[in-house]
Amino acid sequence: MPPTHWQLFWGMQQVALSSFGGGLSAWSERIVVEDKAWMSKQEFITGLTVARLFPGPNQINMAIYIGSHFRGPGGALAALAGILLLPFSVLMGFGLAYYYLHTTMVMDRLLAGVITASAGMALSMGFKIGAAYLNDRVALLLAAISFVAMTVFHVRLVPLVLVAGPLAMAWYWPRKP
Amino acid sequence: MTPLLAAACQPAHLGDWRNLIAVIWDFLSLSLFSLGGGNTLLAEYHYMAVDQYCWLSSQQFAEIYAIAEGAPGPSSMIVGLLGMGAAFEEGPLWALLSGVLAEVAILLPSTLLMVIAALSWNRFKTSPFRLAFERAMGPITLGVLFAVGLKILRISDHDTPAYAVSAVVCFLMLRTKISPLWFMAVAAGLGGMGLVNR
Repeated sequence: MPPTHWQLFWGMQQVALSSFGGGLSAWSERIVVEDKAWMSKQEFITGLTVARLFPGPNQINMAIYIGSHFRGPGGALAALAGILLLPFSVLMGFGLAYYYLHTTMVMDRLLAGVITASAGMALSMGFKIGAAYLNDRVALLLAAISFVAMTVFHVRLVPLVLVAGPLAMAWYWPRKP
Repeated sequence: MTPLLAAACQPAHLGDWRNLIAVIWDFLSLSLFSLGGGNTLLAEYHYMAVDQYCWLSSQQFAEIYAIAEGAPGPSSMIVGLLGMGAAFEEGPLWALLSGVLAEVAILLPSTLLMVIAALSWNRFKTSPFRLAFERAMGPITLGVLFAVGLKILRISDHDTPAYAVSAVVCFLMLRTKISPLWFMAVAAGLGGMGLVNR
């Protein structure tokens, strides 16, 4: 019996709630595969592959995948609402607090510190996925070109992807053995 | 000390419907370019919010990025905070509405595509297009993420202690499983004590 729209909504809400403080991906698997047994581990991993491949935040894509897997577009909407509602409401609360208070001296001092930590987190994003490409020279060259284009020549993301993307796809097009 | 606002250009007000349409269109059209989970778009968001529409100063952008990282949920929800900043002058209700609209606009196209992908995955799971796309986008995402990381580092850090904290956090993010919230808490403390400055 596939989950209903309401079950999808509450299930994803549970994922979002459990993951306050981090680890969205692990929680989503634990709840969807282990607790609720909606999907097998294999099905879940397939979903994660699709979610990572397509544009959009991975965990939000995963919720959309789970929703549409069981209930089509309506299910996707239910799951999406479930995963977004709480975190986005909290974020909006933080946002209002920020825009009202950021000019106060205390907040200014604290934020001056916090942004050095978040800058470190931003810097770690590239290193995190970089290890997978160390043995592929073409991939490293592509990455270097993309980096230099954006950093040195201020090329914007959309033209970069539209030019480099098809070239890279031509190179990686599967060849018949 | 009040933060200095960069007043180089006039903020684009969303009360003018042409601005509103332009902004919504910008988010809609960026949606399908959010490779690698959406963080690849951060440099675009900075360009939009700081250079193009002048809703925020560079420093404020660094701050709302920190808030998006610290808040629950994916950090790409920073778009909601951008929308909020764009309409904050109009009052809290407009700010909320604008935040929600911006988030809907950035998520709508990628959501539609994801629904189609989920429903038809079996058909193009093995297509050469999918294999080539997957392998080609990885390295580009890698380069873009480094560029984005460097950009955020540059707008956040202005002296040696700040760079040192960022470097340590970056290292610990890669080598440990400590929750990033701890790093932010410690760094906030360093800021509060005046050990790191802008």
